[in-house]
Amino acid sequence: MRPFSGMTTLSGSLLLTFRELWAMRLTQAMLAVATLAWVLLSFAMNMDVVEGSLTALRIFGFETKPMEGAYDEATGEFVQQAVSLDSFVIGINTFVFGAAYFLGTLLGLFATMPLINGFLEQGRVDLLLSKPLSRARLLLGHLSGVWATVLVLAAYLVGGVWLTMSFKTGVWIPQFLMAIPIITLMFAVMYAVILTVSILSRSSGLGLVIAYGLIFFSIILASHEQLVPVLSARSAAIFMLFYHLLPNMAEVVVVQMQLVEAAAVITWYPLVSSLLFGIATYGFGFFWFSRRDF
Amino acid sequence: MSAPVIDISGLHKTYVSGLRRRRVEALRGVDLIVPPGEVLGILGPNGAGKTTLLKAVLGIVRPTRGQARLFGQPAGDPSARRRLGYLPENHRFPTYLTARQTLDIYGRLADVSASDRHERIPALLEQVGLASWEDARIGTFSKGMMQRLGLAQALVNAPDLVVLDEPTDGVDPVGRRDIRDRLRSLKRAGTTVVINSHLLSEIELVCDRVLIMNKGRIIRSGTVDDVARQGTGWRVEVDILPEGVDTGSLPVRVEESGRALVVDDGQPTTLNALIDHLRASNVQILSVERHRPSLEAGFIDVITNGEAAS
Repeated sequence: MRPFSGMTTLSGSLLLTFRELWAMRLTQAMLAVATLAWVLLSFAMNMDVVEGSLTALRIFGFETKPMEGAYDEATGEFVQQAVSLDSFVIGINTFVFGAAYFLGTLLGLFATMPLINGFLEQGRVDLLLSKPLSRARLLLGHLSGVWATVLVLAAYLVGGVWLTMSFKTGVWIPQFLMAIPIITLMFAVMYAVILTVSILSRSSGLGLVIAYGLIFFSIILASHEQLVPVLSARSAAIFMLFYHLLPNMAEVVVVQMQLVEAAAVITWYPLVSSLLFGIATYGFGFFWFSRRDF
Repeated sequence: MSAPVIDISGLHKTYVSGLRRRRVEALRGVDLIVPPGEVLGILGPNGAGKTTLLKAVLGIVRPTRGQARLFGQPAGDPSARRRLGYLPENHRFPTYLTARQTLDIYGRLADVSASDRHERIPALLEQVGLASWEDARIGTFSKGMMQRLGLAQALVNAPDLVVLDEPTDGVDPVGRRDIRDRLRSLKRAGTTVVINSHLLSEIELVCDRVLIMNKGRIIRSGTVDDVARQGTGWRVEVDILPEGVDTGSLPVRVEESGRALVVDDGQPTTLNALIDHLRASNVQILSVERHRPSLEAGFIDVITNGEAAS
């Protein structure tokens, strides 16, 4: 056997996934959106900053005066004041994170559904399985291609916006970059659902519906502190069981917010439990993929 | 004697599907040994278990019982597939790739080094007649071109065993001839080839050995001549067969034209008895020829009569 021969097979699997994503125009579309965000922030937005506060903001020449409500301790009243530059930078980056996290994940999952379909298609998967690589390695090659693509896209968008905003304002908040691994990891968790359901049922459409269902259900799960006290003991127990078992996509946003605001993260549990869910789901998917006939 | 390339013993495969756990026995105790260098054809009606047998050998489906070994290693062991080239039935290549990209990616997956890919891919495209299409997207290819590309893909790792499932499906006569020629050159090079095809004439022209499957079992195995011999006999052409000429209890049938009689049992004594009978009846015999049915006739005969494995 040649040295590094395993790398050749893995490179084939990765290349196949990259080319497929490229052919689906998904990567180009995401890169275009990210570039548009950069360009918009770099050239179309101008700011007037006075003593650390944003006194005027012009987008495409249209001027606005961003204000925020603040509690005046001297008068005991809420007053309108110019937005601080830090708040503005946090706001922009948070918006980009939120869009990339929710919209990017929803669109990304939808767009990659045909990728799984193609991978598991009769006439394609059996040819792949006849190659000298294990099923686990084959699946890992496919997944690595998807994960790497999402990582690059997230890094391009979030990193680009972060760099632009930082250079433009002089406010550097490196914790924003945590959005890159968080977006990638949570996408990977939801992709595990589609992949595993597709392997089990041969229907990536069903996988997508379940993944979307879990994302929307996570919004309800995120309200556990408000909901549990009003539920019966039995209902509360069932609700919390779901909370612990299922991915907490919505609540992970809180973790990111706490990171950005340089506050101590109160709990990493939503992220950790989501990752555990993803690992378990992938484990089941790998197990089933290695067992089933094609 | 060299170790067999494929060694299958007592292979069973039962598919279970649906909520009602419907069971389909695709393979029912298959035994098969394929020595190195043999070109083996697998025949059988739809649903006979041919594709399942091939997939079990390649580790794509898992046997319910029994054992399949490839190059002495258990089927399913990835290292055994290093010396294998496979063309599945109704294969699907990503349509956005060009012919060259397809061979490059599947070459990588087959663990072919960059230098070997660089050398082999243009040569293979030339051999299958796609050299002028190497940079065309395969989404524009006809079915026949896709089959040629599939064959090139199966050969990209210079395999010792090539497994082809319906390789000439959708290919025009010229393309079929080209594929046949390619198979013959593989045979000359000592490559073991297993072909599953509905086109019996293809099998007849290139295979050393044929096996016929039906309902998950191998019901006959032998050389093309062995299988075709089923029903071999003589055809006796006569001028006119007058009414009232009775061939008696001889196992002879009269062709629809009424101008030839066929001795189906292949026994010379039957032929002589028939000639004596015809001459005694003043029937003029125009010719007597050995009647050698095609593989197709032998195949149909075996399937129809449900002959036991030999």
